[in-house]
Amino acid sequence: MMILAERCMMMLVTLILCFLAQAGAVFADDKSAAAAQQQNDLSALLNSIGKKVSDFTSLKTEFTQEKEMAMFKQKLVLKGRIYLQKPGKIAWHVDAPVRYSVLITDTLIRQWDEDTNKVQEISLAKNPIFQNVLNQLTVWFSGEYGSLLAINDVRVMQNEPLVLEFVPKEKNMSHKVIKSITITFREDKKYLKQILIREKNGDATAITFINTQLNVPLDDSSFEVKR
Amino acid sequence: MLERFFSRGFDLARAHKRLVLVFTALVTAGAVLGLAFIRYEGSVDLMLPPDKDVTRSMQFLRDSSLSDKVIISLALTKPERDKKDLFAAVDTLAASLEPPLFAKVTSGVSMADAMDEFSVLQYGPQILNEDELAALDAQINGPSVESKLKQIYLQTFRPESVFTSSLSRTDPLGIKTLLYGKLKALPSSMGYDVVVEEGRFLSRDGRHAMLIVQTTVPMMDATRSKKLVRILDEKIRLLPDYVSADVIGGHFHTVSNEQAIKRDIAVATVVASIGFLLLFLFVFRDVRAFFVILFPLLAVVWAIIVVALIEGTLSYLVIGFGTAIVGISDFGLIVYIAMKRGTDSSQMGKLGKLVFMDAITTIFSFAVLIFSQIRGYQQLAIFSIVCLIICLLFSLFVLPLTLSWKRYALVPDPTIGDRLKKVRWPVKLTLGIWIFLTTVLLILSFSVRFDSDVKKLDGSSPAVFKAEQNFHEVWGGKTNQAILVVTGRNVEEAMEANDRVYHEAVTALGKEEFTSLALFWPSEKSRKENRDRWDRFWKQGRERKLKGLIREKSAAYGFSDRAFAPFFEGLYSRESDASHPGGLIAHLQERFVVNRDGECRIMSFFPDEQRNIEALRALTQRHPGVFIVSGRALSASISSFTIREMYVLAPLAVLFNLVLTWLFFRNWKETLIALVPLLTGVVWLLGIMSFFDMPLNVVNIIAGVIASGVIVDYGLGITYEYRNSLNFGTVMAMTLSAASNVIGAGALLFAGHPALHSTGVAMVICMVAGYLSSVLVVPSFCSLMATSRKEPA
Repeated sequence: MMILAERCMMMLVTLILCFLAQAGAVFADDKSAAAAQQQNDLSALLNSIGKKVSDFTSLKTEFTQEKEMAMFKQKLVLKGRIYLQKPGKIAWHVDAPVRYSVLITDTLIRQWDEDTNKVQEISLAKNPIFQNVLNQLTVWFSGEYGSLLAINDVRVMQNEPLVLEFVPKEKNMSHKVIKSITITFREDKKYLKQILIREKNGDATAITFINTQLNVPLDDSSFEVKR
Repeated sequence: MLERFFSRGFDLARAHKRLVLVFTALVTAGAVLGLAFIRYEGSVDLMLPPDKDVTRSMQFLRDSSLSDKVIISLALTKPERDKKDLFAAVDTLAASLEPPLFAKVTSGVSMADAMDEFSVLQYGPQILNEDELAALDAQINGPSVESKLKQIYLQTFRPESVFTSSLSRTDPLGIKTLLYGKLKALPSSMGYDVVVEEGRFLSRDGRHAMLIVQTTVPMMDATRSKKLVRILDEKIRLLPDYVSADVIGGHFHTVSNEQAIKRDIAVATVVASIGFLLLFLFVFRDVRAFFVILFPLLAVVWAIIVVALIEGTLSYLVIGFGTAIVGISDFGLIVYIAMKRGTDSSQMGKLGKLVFMDAITTIFSFAVLIFSQIRGYQQLAIFSIVCLIICLLFSLFVLPLTLSWKRYALVPDPTIGDRLKKVRWPVKLTLGIWIFLTTVLLILSFSVRFDSDVKKLDGSSPAVFKAEQNFHEVWGGKTNQAILVVTGRNVEEAMEANDRVYHEAVTALGKEEFTSLALFWPSEKSRKENRDRWDRFWKQGRERKLKGLIREKSAAYGFSDRAFAPFFEGLYSRESDASHPGGLIAHLQERFVVNRDGECRIMSFFPDEQRNIEALRALTQRHPGVFIVSGRALSASISSFTIREMYVLAPLAVLFNLVLTWLFFRNWKETLIALVPLLTGVVWLLGIMSFFDMPLNVVNIIAGVIASGVIVDYGLGITYEYRNSLNFGTVMAMTLSAASNVIGAGALLFAGHPALHSTGVAMVICMVAGYLSSVLVVPSFCSLMATSRKEPA
């Protein structure tokens, strides 16, 4: 009985909020209240999605990356695998068109490519700018979206499947380069289906995740860069 | 003549007893009220020598904004909270720190602006010098260009390329690698290990944020520092429960030192007073003995007012020593015991002469410090002399008036102290032991250490040091840095001089060791020269050549015709040559540039090591207006100055004591015997400190001088009593005086403040040695050399 009453109250509140939102042109203060409410809703949504998506300790997925860049005559298509072990360990292996691997941890980057056949190690402590870029990337991959609302304008583009668009705010370091980042979630919302990054110069990168498996045991070889 | 003066003075005071007592009470009440209006100084600056380098360094540190800054490290304490919560707390705290106490709060820098400021085509032309362009020139050939294009192609397979690929369009030759060589020193140039996220300073673990607060309060301003610390504490208490704060800044040391000194003085006063009371009441069983303690205390209060009127301000450290002086002025004790033994007004002249000579020798011990060039020592001399003169006047003319009450006359005890005087030690054995110990300690004294590190006298609370430790664990920056300062009439002039000095400094120390603004942002003149050179470089056919090479080599990797058009279109079209206001360069300039009193100073930083200082010293001599500010050099200057001063002051003190004692005895044999306690006190102090590996410092040296001023009295009084076979009870007076002195100085052994503690140690050693030699060795010498001469007391 109590639950029913609470639901009725919620519906009533929602109706009132909708009414107030429509009347926003007249009542500016009420409009800002509605905007604040919307912001709160988004925050709650991001936190809940983030919680769901980040609820894993290990991840194994294949990916296809398609890059449309003014720099290249044709679209660049990469195929590869990502292994993620929490906390703070990501391996990125490209299998085609060239073979390249990189391991990123909290403190270092270790990378190898078939062309040089050399393993190169870089300390993140000495590369704060690089670390910053990787931090951003890690946030997108790991699903910890709660903190993104402060530096991005977020819009729900579609509900089923859920598609969110993030537009960097002026204070965001990416603001000068990135136009928008669109995230498409899997139907079960447990991980991402695709990340689409649109740059201000017209370039676009789409990473599509295939055969994603969560909480599977990962052996050390998954994080070996030299092949 | 002296005897007649004291006799008449005493009679006059007794005749106007009520007037004298009321006058004393009223002036004391006024003085106590006046204490609240005195301006006190809590810093040890006063105790530093006026050496040119030391003064300039201290002045620079005061004038630079370095010492006025407070840095706050905020930490997330609950694992479920994240950066968003931390940044919200940062913003709230930053917004609450408002003028007039807080001038500016910096919680980060805009990295979006930084990307513009440090972009290849904006920053490169301004910063790349002739050598670096030559290196670039060597890459404009077929194989190098092919290799660079391949690298750019391969880079697109890396995860970070999602954000960075398009940047390659403005940098086909990898010029960013050249810029990176300069920019990699950026984090260390901030002084801390920081990353910037969302425009805020963040630690590498992502759990701490940093606020740099420019205050309007000079670090040395104790009164305003207290207010600043209180307000900061209040603001920090308002932080959410999941955020903790560690705050570091010189203000915390100032406030904490002042609190520690005040607390220690209070504890020392209470301990000493209780000790004195118990001692006096136990020995004399007479409440009037209380006045013997009271008058030196009143003398200190009077002296604080008098010296503050002369000096304007008064150092807490000087007052701290004054508390010790309370314990050492034994004039009242001599007068009290003499009166207890039945000395009447007819003998007051002789008693007055003895007390006066005691006072004069002590006063001259302090007078030596007036010849010191250190202002704190001079102030201490003035304070001590004023204190002792007031104490002498109280002891001779006021104290006797308080001892004879109408209904309770002073009960005479003509034998008091006789038992002590009659104790006889085997003369040869006593002298043998004394000679042996003094010789051993004399040898040891030659290896006593002098610790010139003033930081070790910092008595800040453990909480202050803990906050600093926490801070450095998170943010680094623990290595001591010295500063090379370049001056100019304006920013541009100083920056041009800084450019010139930078190249020499880097040659002397190496690039890794020397962080200078010239590395990231040279003078406008240098930047213009670089820009013109850059334009000439490309216009001399290299632009055309590179375009051709790219066209030729790019097809293999699928690059489009316009792949690198942004680079060629931006070669000569720089938007602006100035740094963004509020950007990273502006922020860096704030760290490196100090404008004060129409002069601009540019700081460069390097590890504070002797070899670096020596390597740069020649450079400071070649360039006028260039100087080094170094903690290590500061310590070395203090050390050499203090040693130089001691070479002058110590012989002067010995000479004063020798002359005064000779004037008193007119006999070399008795003069030398009377100076045995002084010799013993000084040699034993140095020897024992050396034995226990306790170093001398700028503070305990002064304590030693004060203590030696007291023990010279012991030798004088006892030799005088033995020589004249007097019955003033001098041995008793000396014993009680020594006991009370050791209690007074010993109370400082409980002090938490290192300066006061080391004072206590030095005084206790010196006075115990002086006393033991005066009651054991002096009588032995007197009896061995038969100095006794009958003279009625």
